[in-house]
Amino acid sequence: MVDLQQLHEAILNGDAKTAAAVAQAALAQNVPALELIQTAMVPAMDEVGRRFECQDYFVPELLLSARAMKAALEPLRPLLAASGAQPAGKVVIGTVQGDLHDIGKNLVAALLEGGGFEVTDLGVDVAPEKFVETVQKTNANIVCLSALLTVTMLSMKTTIDGLRAAGLREQVTVLVGGAAVTRQFAEEIGADGYGENASAAVALARACAKAATVG
Amino acid sequence: MLERPFKEKPDFQHLRAVLLRERKDGPVPLLELVADPEIMSEVTGIPYPAEHAREFVWGNPNSLDPKTLELGVAFMDLSIAYSAKLGLDYATMTPLVPLHRTRVHLANTGVGREQALRSWQDEHVGLITTRDDFERYRWPSLDQISILPIEYAATKMPDGMKVMVMYMGIFEDLRQLMGLEPLAYATADDPELVDDVLEGLTRVAEHAVGLAAAHPATGGVFYADDMGFSSGTFLSPRFMRQHVIPRLKRIADACHRHGKPFLLHSCGNVLALMEDFIDVVGIDAKHSFEDKILPVEEFYARYASRIAVVGGLDMDLLGRGSEAEVRARTRQILHACAPGGGYCMGTGNSAANYIKLENYYAMIDETRKWNEEHGC
Repeated sequence: MVDLQQLHEAILNGDAKTAAAVAQAALAQNVPALELIQTAMVPAMDEVGRRFECQDYFVPELLLSARAMKAALEPLRPLLAASGAQPAGKVVIGTVQGDLHDIGKNLVAALLEGGGFEVTDLGVDVAPEKFVETVQKTNANIVCLSALLTVTMLSMKTTIDGLRAAGLREQVTVLVGGAAVTRQFAEEIGADGYGENASAAVALARACAKAATVG
Repeated sequence: MLERPFKEKPDFQHLRAVLLRERKDGPVPLLELVADPEIMSEVTGIPYPAEHAREFVWGNPNSLDPKTLELGVAFMDLSIAYSAKLGLDYATMTPLVPLHRTRVHLANTGVGREQALRSWQDEHVGLITTRDDFERYRWPSLDQISILPIEYAATKMPDGMKVMVMYMGIFEDLRQLMGLEPLAYATADDPELVDDVLEGLTRVAEHAVGLAAAHPATGGVFYADDMGFSSGTFLSPRFMRQHVIPRLKRIADACHRHGKPFLLHSCGNVLALMEDFIDVVGIDAKHSFEDKILPVEEFYARYASRIAVVGGLDMDLLGRGSEAEVRARTRQILHACAPGGGYCMGTGNSAANYIKLENYYAMIDETRKWNEEHGC
């Protein structure tokens, strides 16, 4: 019998090889893909986020765990698609126009994917129209905007305005974050939430997804 | 417009005394890590093609083409003219180190300047991500490193002014050479490779900093090495203590050997490493502050009995705030940090091309007024 705790530990330790092997073995023993994700993998990434938040994990540990999560997820994807399992939410994420910084955005994207969200990462220097177009195309319910600089974060407001002009503002929850961004700024530009770090951003996204489901 | 220069004559000896916390009296000096060419052009009225500054600073000093050299000389002239116009005690110069780096992307930050390009390092792709890459990488020989800008400035600076040498640090260059993501993976997959790249960079840095510090026109070394982001260090403090901190000490020693102050600029939340910077590396001053992480006056209260503190006026305020707000915040910082000495006024990061010039002037003007009101 496959020990799912081993999968949990492999993700926590950033051991991609073991994570993939245990996931394969579990599937061979007919453990449902969704059970693997819900009982071992998502809790492991949650713990990674918690450790990152309390400065026990740093950028390498987070990226290594995300890599292990992806390796374990790979053999599960076809089964998940066939089962019609729904993601925790659909997220469009990107670094706003004028800004090319993306490590923070990548960390958030990795934790979101690890948390069961379907993530469309638009990369960096993303124009408001691109966010609008992608939300329309993917039917996303969460938009995450990142910026490093105090001046480029003004593009966050332009993006929110763009979503509003396209009639999409009610459809999506907009979360913002990045080095220069503050909670006060998030409120000023009409964002729905501010993530102080990658882990907090994922907790926010999860709360938003839950609220939408309940609502 | 600035009502008048910050001071009539440069006095690097006073700046040095403040950085070494040798005296508490006298005016609060101004000090920045760097000013972007756009800001220097606006202050002096001297046009300069900002996008070309990097070609000179990062070029191979032994094979600069005449056009690049001409732009380089114009850039050094611009730096000196900028310092003279503002009434600063120093001119910033950079040793020429022909290190091959990863791709740098340019983007317009969308601020109200025609040329407001900022460079961004590629975080996904590195020049050295495997042992083979490392073996193939062409490290500059030590004799290719040049302090031409310092030698040039020595002949051009007004009396009383000295060169503040800006040197980009080994951790920042490690990220440049490996890319942050490949570096993160390598810390687990191949830590020896990370160590070897760091050693190569340290060898170059030790030599360049030593060479620069030895020059009589050099007043100090401003070592720029971003090691953190908003909530912590990129890599664990344990990793940094093992692989980076001892090497920073070697670089600081190369400066101290010539009796010059060694200032550390490091962005992000690096508080976990402060004791190492002070006790092991032996920094004389710390620069780069964000109100969101720790307002400069709180940092000053914690560390000013051991090191000098530089700058701290938040970049967000300088970029988006009003002149009145900048003046008020400048006063607030001076009130907390000036009386105890060991403090230089300046921005939280640099005179970057995305701050408002009127706000930058307001910070300078308010500091001058503070000094005059206090009989300095």
